[in-house]
Amino acid sequence: MTDLAVLQGVRLKGRVSRADLATTLGEDPGEVVDDLTRSGLLADGPTLRLTPEGRGRLDELLTAERSNVDLAAISAAYNDFRAVNTEFKALVTDWQVRHGQPNTHDDSEYDAAVLARLDGVHQRITPIVAAAAAQLPRLGRYSTKLQTALDNVHTGDTIWLSRPLIDSYHTVWFELHEELIIAAGLTRETEDG
Amino acid sequence: MSTQPVVLLNGDATSPSDVLGHKGHGIDVMRRNGLPVPPAFCITADVGARYRAEPEATIDAIWTDVLDGLRTLESATSRTFGRGQHPLLVSVRSGAAVSMPGMMDTLLDLGFSDAVEDALTLERTAEFASDTRRRFSSWYQRIVAAPPPDDPYLQLRAAIEAVFASWDSPRAVAYRTHHGLDDRGGTAAVVQAMVFGNINADSGAGVVFSRNPMTGANAEFGEWLPGGQGDDVVSGTLDVEPIAALRSRLPGVYSELIDAARSLERLAGDVQEIEFTIEDGTLWLLQTRAAKRSAQAAVRLALQLHDDGLIDEAETLRRVTPAHVKALLQPSLQPETRLIAALLAKGLPAGPGIASGRAYSEVDAAIAAADRGEDVILVRNHTSPDDIHGMLVARGIVTETGGATSHAAVVSRELGCPAVVGCGSGVTEALTGNLVTVDGNAGEVREGTLPLSAWSEDNTPELRELAEIARRVSPLRAHAGGDYPRLDRHSEAAVRTALASGQCDVVSASPLLAMLEAIRLSEVS
Repeated sequence: MTDLAVLQGVRLKGRVSRADLATTLGEDPGEVVDDLTRSGLLADGPTLRLTPEGRGRLDELLTAERSNVDLAAISAAYNDFRAVNTEFKALVTDWQVRHGQPNTHDDSEYDAAVLARLDGVHQRITPIVAAAAAQLPRLGRYSTKLQTALDNVHTGDTIWLSRPLIDSYHTVWFELHEELIIAAGLTRETEDG
Repeated sequence: MSTQPVVLLNGDATSPSDVLGHKGHGIDVMRRNGLPVPPAFCITADVGARYRAEPEATIDAIWTDVLDGLRTLESATSRTFGRGQHPLLVSVRSGAAVSMPGMMDTLLDLGFSDAVEDALTLERTAEFASDTRRRFSSWYQRIVAAPPPDDPYLQLRAAIEAVFASWDSPRAVAYRTHHGLDDRGGTAAVVQAMVFGNINADSGAGVVFSRNPMTGANAEFGEWLPGGQGDDVVSGTLDVEPIAALRSRLPGVYSELIDAARSLERLAGDVQEIEFTIEDGTLWLLQTRAAKRSAQAAVRLALQLHDDGLIDEAETLRRVTPAHVKALLQPSLQPETRLIAALLAKGLPAGPGIASGRAYSEVDAAIAAADRGEDVILVRNHTSPDDIHGMLVARGIVTETGGATSHAAVVSRELGCPAVVGCGSGVTEALTGNLVTVDGNAGEVREGTLPLSAWSEDNTPELRELAEIARRVSPLRAHAGGDYPRLDRHSEAAVRTALASGQCDVVSASPLLAMLEAIRLSEVS
């Protein structure tokens, strides 16, 4: 587990417990976290947080990581992402809102039709993540996390579509969005929220 | 179904609003009643529907009728389209059977060429001619996505096509989906002689309501923009004045406008929202429709119209839906409270509900304040995944950028947190540190901590009065107490069962809701 993976994992979660960090990274980063805490890059407590120094170090590591990638390839992946992004965000909104009111989820046919669209989204995003991971192997992890969330939704556990604080499809999707913006050398301020 | 593709809106058009569109229908009603409306004709919604299947052939087939319509506008105004010393400019407006405010396209000031601009310069002023042409060109570019040709007839054809095509624009499709409206059919197009609010200080444009659609007060309500055109008022980008300002500036026009509003209200039996233009001290009405209203206003206005003898008891009860009453029974920001608090920001309502607190723009500061027990409103340019902990402690969320599907919107709804998104840049700085109220239903941020209150069937006079009327009309009389069988729920199924078993009087925790349901059921069957 690299410093970069751990620092970026903490950054994307804002504040995160060691256990949740291990879940999202896919392995226990125990020793790396201890080292980063000792060197003042992470603040420990009930949850882990980046210190200002940690944020600076993370930016350096991301810049270094970016210097080895083919910017045209990662920009192409980001453009492809944006097309699917619109579709996915509309799907989540249709899941939450119906006729301008919160979806009460008492119409199983409607809900099933919305959820069915997630399979199409997943088919389109999978090669995009693969293309991005060919440049930044670290991003391959997003494929696994999206698949896990999708599997949970398929078993009827629909909180895995959009619930915050867990690695739901929307949570993972938005973290992936952040990663692609950074990898393409852009900032959120210039991109659509 | 009318086979006539073009209908003159001279007060004699007999077609219903699903042919003329609500706009064309409203214009015809106003003309029939002798109100000052610029001459207009309508290309029917049937043509609009045909256009979607066969664009070219449809326009070719009706073009002679369109030109005939244009000739009637010329003779009614003593002006000439695209030429002459007194050139005629027209507007081309969309208008479906059901009003879809702002969803489809409209084009004003159409009919320009260099010669027309010169003629208008001689007739009025160079400033007016160039301002109006600039407005036209920018509208045209936006709607047709090309610079306007110099031939006014080509402009007219392209504008009509753009209006018809706007039925299928993503925002119109989304609006119909959102409101459960039929996607089939198409829009009508209204071509109307222009009148100008941008001529001089005795000119302007505005919108007036025959009664207040927010509070339900029996008083005129509205706004106007001196020296502006209609689109300036709707766009909300310029500083409009309350309608009372018109009374002091042009008292004669004001009283004519209010008389017209009252008269249209009597004709329709409902509160009207009327668009108007004042051209050099002369009033022109452009459009009238039933006003959209708050739940509070729906109840108060129905009772007033009944008191005024405009609607009978059964209609009074039809004007109030169970959804209105249910909304009123929930704690909410009453319109009277809302309207006296300063409006600090406006955006898209993204998470329903109302919340008050102090605005924080930094996540760490927001979390610290929440730990101290403060009510926190999180205000950000946009939210990112790592803002989630700030969002979790917030009572309300406000962003500068992003739409209804943005991260902030999606997460706010998951958290059940009132949110207003896309309020525009500068809002973070303007709000931070202040006590504010986020209205996630209206899409507004207002100054201060505003109290919520609810109506009740027992104690709110309006609801008691409505229940009295309902007990005279409903097949099922529901009472708050008494020696009657008990109706445990006011659902459709419960009311249906009570009616089927022949009950006439019941005791209910929500008598009014039960009776509205019973009336609805008896009218459907």
